[in-house]
Amino acid sequence: MKLQEPAPGKWQLFRIWASIGLQSFGGGASTTLLIQRAFIHKHKWLSIEEFLHLWNLCILTPGINLIALTVLIGRKLGGAWGIVVSLVGLLLPSATITCLITAGFSSIQHLPVVQAVLRGVVPATAGIMLLVGLNFALPLIRKSHKEGIFYLLASSVLMIACALAVILLKFSVIIVVLASVFLGALFFSSKSDVPLLQQEQREQR
Amino acid sequence: MINPLIYFLLFLKASLFSTGGFSNLPSLHQDLTGNGWAKESVFGQSIAIGQISPGPNGLWVISLGYLTYGYLGAFLALIAVIIPALLVLAISAGYTRIEHRAWVQGAMHGVSLAVVGLLLTVVWTILRQPGVDWKALLIAVGAFALASSRKVNIPIILGLAGLAGYLLYR
Repeated sequence: MKLQEPAPGKWQLFRIWASIGLQSFGGGASTTLLIQRAFIHKHKWLSIEEFLHLWNLCILTPGINLIALTVLIGRKLGGAWGIVVSLVGLLLPSATITCLITAGFSSIQHLPVVQAVLRGVVPATAGIMLLVGLNFALPLIRKSHKEGIFYLLASSVLMIACALAVILLKFSVIIVVLASVFLGALFFSSKSDVPLLQQEQREQR
Repeated sequence: MINPLIYFLLFLKASLFSTGGFSNLPSLHQDLTGNGWAKESVFGQSIAIGQISPGPNGLWVISLGYLTYGYLGAFLALIAVIIPALLVLAISAGYTRIEHRAWVQGAMHGVSLAVVGLLLTVVWTILRQPGVDWKALLIAVGAFALASSRKVNIPIILGLAGLAGYLLYR
């Protein structure tokens, strides 16, 4: 286990979120990657497994997942005030810039130069999103590998099936997530999944 | 004439019954155009802006708010997307209560796999847009490589991609 750094002060937390909010041009892909870099790689406040766990809770929450994630990370690192400074830090700069871009964009969006630049930026966001997905996939593959070949195979099949269900069959995201909850509970519930400490706690009850 | 309270509630409803950034679109589209509060063209514009502007893609509704109701609209839209996100605290509390059960661990593994699968669909959707050719795929691969090196800042990567777009497609 990596060493955890002491939790940040409110001001430092605000600065980190604001810098994410200011830098994350290109939408959610950049934002997610910047959050991973800031809280996992640069400061070791979260492990990728923890991050994925928080993200799972956000997927089960209505609305924008990234804002829910901001709430959870803010609370973990700074309690109620952590939530407030994180939300304001992330959203104030990015919402303001979005407004300003909206005000300017409608007048220049038809210029060929703008169209050409956008045709370069849009596929780049796809590449960044792929990296975010890979960051999420690695701990899952490692864990599945430890559980054995059947587990790994079943995990890969479910992962790809989710993608295909949305792309080819046009299933809604909610249906896919609920189906995965059900299939996961059915096929991936092994005793070894539960950490030893938690098993002991359970036996004591 | 736009009624600010109803306007806000429409945004809140759309956000409460959505998952992820763009699934609130159909509901907003129906309600706003139905009331005559939004023109058809503002939806395409705000989604395009949501793709490039900073922050989560879901912030496209701020752009929609601005285009339909000025700064007040943008502000109301922002509040409307923050409120549902706070529900994650309740979900997290509920999860802590049941996390020790074996089936919960399995279910969460299932959700994690779905998360990766869903991210792949986003990559696919972006690359399926009109105007994406083999040069665009090269840009996507290049952005992936630069980002995974962890040495280059994201705005620089997007700046380079924009420059490549300018040079290749102008």
